[in-house]
This record gives sequence, structure tokens and C-alpha cells, in this order.
Amino acid sequence: MSEADREKGYIERACAEYEMLLEDYLAGGLGDADAQRTTAHLKTCAACRAALDEAASSARLVKMAGILAGAAVEPGPGFSRVVMARIRSAEQHSAREAGLWRPFVSLAWRFAATAALALAFLVTYSTVRHGQAGGNNTVAIETETHDLFSPDPAQQPASRDDVLMMVVGNEHGKN
Amino acid sequence: MRRHQQRVFRLVGRILRRPEDVEDIAQQVFLKTYLSLGKFDQRAAFSTWLYRITVNECWDFLRKKKIRPLVYESDLSEEQVSRLDGIVSAERPPENPSERAEARDALERILEKLPQQDRDLLMLKEVEGFSVQELAEMLGLNVNTVKVRLFRARGKIMDVYRREKLRSKQRGLAPTTTERK
Repeated sequence: MSEADREKGYIERACAEYEMLLEDYLAGGLGDADAQRTTAHLKTCAACRAALDEAASSARLVKMAGILAGAAVEPGPGFSRVVMARIRSAEQHSAREAGLWRPFVSLAWRFAATAALALAFLVTYSTVRHGQAGGNNTVAIETETHDLFSPDPAQQPASRDDVLMMVVGNEHGKN
Repeated sequence: MRRHQQRVFRLVGRILRRPEDVEDIAQQVFLKTYLSLGKFDQRAAFSTWLYRITVNECWDFLRKKKIRPLVYESDLSEEQVSRLDGIVSAERPPENPSERAEARDALERILEKLPQQDRDLLMLKEVEGFSVQELAEMLGLNVNTVKVRLFRARGKIMDVYRREKLRSKQRGLAPTTTERK
């Protein structure tokens, strides 16, 4: 880009991957390898050369703005006292606020603790009851199973004759 | 507090550029710092943490007050720009008070056209002398991000400066064009 183009307000940007390195280059804070790489790049890239020139000018411009801005506002003689007073006032305010809410906070804690105890009691009670009910069911099922599929030991035949008698008895029952 | 108060005042003054609000904001900074001392994790220096609170407090103030950049009614004249050019290249401020005031106004106008954060970044680096590392800690940014932002802010301020020069030059030529008609 020519000087005339730049005067017309055309903007030429530095290569994005060199912006960070150019900032360090300007401050003289680049390591040897990066400095060599940047110097080699600057030899071939006019946009980066122009951007570096401008960055150096900008530093001068901003420094001059800082110098001309004049002396900063100085803290007044009572500044520390005013700040300490504000700190004390803020602390008192927060203590007062905490004091105002303390009874409510205490009540809320008690309520929460009672509710937690009641809940724990209910859960325990319910678990115990379920445990008992669950045991009874198992016994009942076992009994039922026994009744359905196992022969009654009292009615079991003791010999082959008993078996024949039972068969005859059943035939009579059907008729 | 005494050790840091002058630097805090300078920082607030640079960012706000409103002397009437500097003391209030500085008080607020020290109050906040005291009240949040428990949150200071000692990863950065205490001063850097304090300056971080300072910068945030200033930006909060500007945002809450919705302070807009000043709009100047007239552009810089060609003579003003050429004088400013001379001053900046010589790196020496003029001794004459009226020339100083004129150069200060001209530079203020240029800085005013930059986004707030770019302007503050440049000021903190070039005028207040903070390192890139300190700026990164103060602004809660990555070091490389700060470098890129700084470099781009430099480009932006020079764009503004060049445009001001161009405008003043065009205005300097305008009466001649009218005369020809």
C-alpha cells in the first residue's frame, strides 16, 4: 500500500497470526526464535511492516495524550478517614441486618429440624411395617404352594394295596 | 490504603476522565476491596487484585451512568492536525500553555472515538506502564488475548488519527473548490 493510499484512509491489517508476535516485537519481548521468524516475515510482508510502524506511532500518540492530560486528581487529606467511616458504617449495617433477621432464621432452623425428625420417624416406621408385612406374605405363599403341589403326608399310600384302594375309591367318587 | 491510594486515583482518573467522580469511585473501590478481602485468593499480587476491582468499578460506573462519548461539533483544523503531528513525532509536549491545551483537546478527540476498553487498554499499557501480564490479570483475560487486543487497538487509534487528518485536509481544500465555481 502506498503512502497516498494510506493518506486516503485505506486500512491494511497485519497478518492475524503475527499480531501477537508484533506486539511483543514492539515491546522487545520476543525470544530469539520468534524474533528471527518475525524479522524474516517483516522483510516479505508490507502489511505487517506498516502495522508495526503504526503501532509504534500509536504508542507515541497515547503517551503524549497521557502527558498532556495533566496531573491526576490527588486524594484529599481526609480520604482515608472517610473510607474507614464508610467501612465501619457498612459493617454496622450488615450486623444490624443480620440481627433483624436472626429470630426468623432461628425459627426457620427449628422448624426445619422438627420437620427432618418427623420425616425420619415416618420413613423408619414405614420401613419397619413394610418389612413385617413382606415376611407374612412369603409365609402365606409358601403355605399355599405346599397345599397345591405337595401331597398331604397323611394321605400318602403306605403300600401297593393302598394305591389300588385309592384308585378304586376315586373311580367310585367320579361315578 | 495509603500505599495504594495514589495509583488508584490515577487509574480512576484515566478511565473516567471526570475529575468530579474520581474520589467517590476511589472510596467505593477501597470499600469493596475491604469487604471482599475474604475472596482474595493470593494467586495474583494484592495490588493487581485491587486494580482489577478499580477497573471493574469504573466500567460499572460508566455503564450505570450510561456516559456516552463526547461529540465534538467541529473537526480538527489542518493546522491543528499538523501541529499535533509535529508534537507526537518530536515526543515533546509544547511549552506554550495554549498549544498544550490545544494538543490535549485534539488527542482527547481522537481517544474519544475509540471503544472504551481499547482506550483503557492503551492508556494502562502506555501511560500507566502496566505489563501485559498485569493487564491480563487485571482484566481477567488470557495474556495472548491482551496482546492481540492491544495491537488491534493501536491500529484503531491510528485509523482514527488518519481519518481526522484526511478530513482536515479535505476541509482545507474545500474553500478553494468553492472559489473555482
